Amino acid sequence: MKQNVTYRFIVARAQGGLRVVEVDTVVPLVVPTATNPSGSIAESPHRVRIIDGALACLARHGTVKTTVDDIARQSGVSRATVYRAFPGGRDEILGAVVDTEMARLFSALGVRMGNAGDLTTALVGGIVEASTRLGDHAALHFLVEHEPGMILGHLAFDESDRLLETASRFTAPFLARWMSPDEAERVAEWAARIVLSYAIAPSDRLDLCDEADATRLVTTFMLPGIEALQSAPTMPIDISPYPSRGARPGPRPAGGPVPAG
Amino acid sequence: MPVSVDARQRIIEATYACVARRGMAKTTVEDVAREAGISRATVYRAFPGGRDELMDATVSWAVFDFFAKLYDRIQGATDLEEVMERGIMFAHRSIVEHEVLQRVMQTEPDTLLPALTVESIRIREGIAQVLAPFVVDRGLAAGVDLGDAADFLARMVLSYISAPGRWDLDDPAQVARLVRSELLAGVVVPAGSR
Repeated sequence: MKQNVTYRFIVARAQGGLRVVEVDTVVPLVVPTATNPSGSIAESPHRVRIIDGALACLARHGTVKTTVDDIARQSGVSRATVYRAFPGGRDEILGAVVDTEMARLFSALGVRMGNAGDLTTALVGGIVEASTRLGDHAALHFLVEHEPGMILGHLAFDESDRLLETASRFTAPFLARWMSPDEAERVAEWAARIVLSYAIAPSDRLDLCDEADATRLVTTFMLPGIEALQSAPTMPIDISPYPSRGARPGPRPAGGPVPAG
Repeated sequence: MPVSVDARQRIIEATYACVARRGMAKTTVEDVAREAGISRATVYRAFPGGRDELMDATVSWAVFDFFAKLYDRIQGATDLEEVMERGIMFAHRSIVEHEVLQRVMQTEPDTLLPALTVESIRIREGIAQVLAPFVVDRGLAAGVDLGDAADFLARMVLSYISAPGRWDLDDPAQVARLVRSELLAGVVVPAGSR
């Protein structure tokens, strides 16, 4: 039997006991289980089916050429059923696709980061999960290639700020087990920037879908940065001359998790 | 007859003036020719691809102009931290105060963003090239590849200047903290003895 849950995560072991994270979403999802791996919808049996049909259409034709008829055919339901589930038609479906895909992404991130036993694992897991999902997203790829304005609008300037805020608001509580809430929000936003940067412009140096590469990035650049954030919350501005090169080869953190702050 | 570099430049500046007045979509080759005081044929000789080529060239030029100013702004900085602080604050202010960029972003993001995204690859490589010698001078952290570090810094700088998120990039203390934590802490040797 399907269990209807609102979109809500309980993060165990968070500082000060349990923590509940809520995310705005239109589509309530069922937690993925072995018998229902995609986590399909409980209260409206056709919604997720139609959304998945629309995703398949988007991956082939983009938003411009996808009609309600295409979506109905792809989903294996009638046009009337589509309109009953989505009275707003095509635009409402496209909106629901975005909400659902965001919810799926954050849901997967919640599972992965929530299960992590240390900070490095949480960061690497979150980065790999998000990068892989963005990298494998056929509809997203089609749109980036054929309707770039549609996607890029969400990745630039103010819109990008909004996306970063959503991503950090959602993932920060998972990091707050190892740092203060303010630091956790900064680090979550930072990780989101990293994922977006490498997703928009893949690098031939680092593949963030790859666990080893992501670990290298986290241990090389992020852990020392997090330590610096934690150790100097009100760092004075110091632009005095520094010792010349080679003066201090400098100890580097070995790459283990940063101790709880 | 080939078109001189000067003439190309005049045409690009005329295009920019037209875009500033009425946006990208409404600017025609004829408008540009009129603005530059030359014939349509001359514009097409310089830019055989017509409007599209003209717009791409103009975005390129505006980006180049922005980074030339940014490059001027970091001259005289004594170390990597100062380069980054000055650069980030200047770049952030310039973007916020860039009237044409802001207006076109508001009204025709679909037209501007693809061109800007193509440019961003060049921009990133440019930032990485400018920063790399400062990183070497400052002292690359043990076990870190210079190419990786410069690419990472360039990506992050681009990310922060276009979307500051929760950082107030007008506040020198916050910029100093950002530079010394998320940007440089893993890249260079600790500044402990400073």
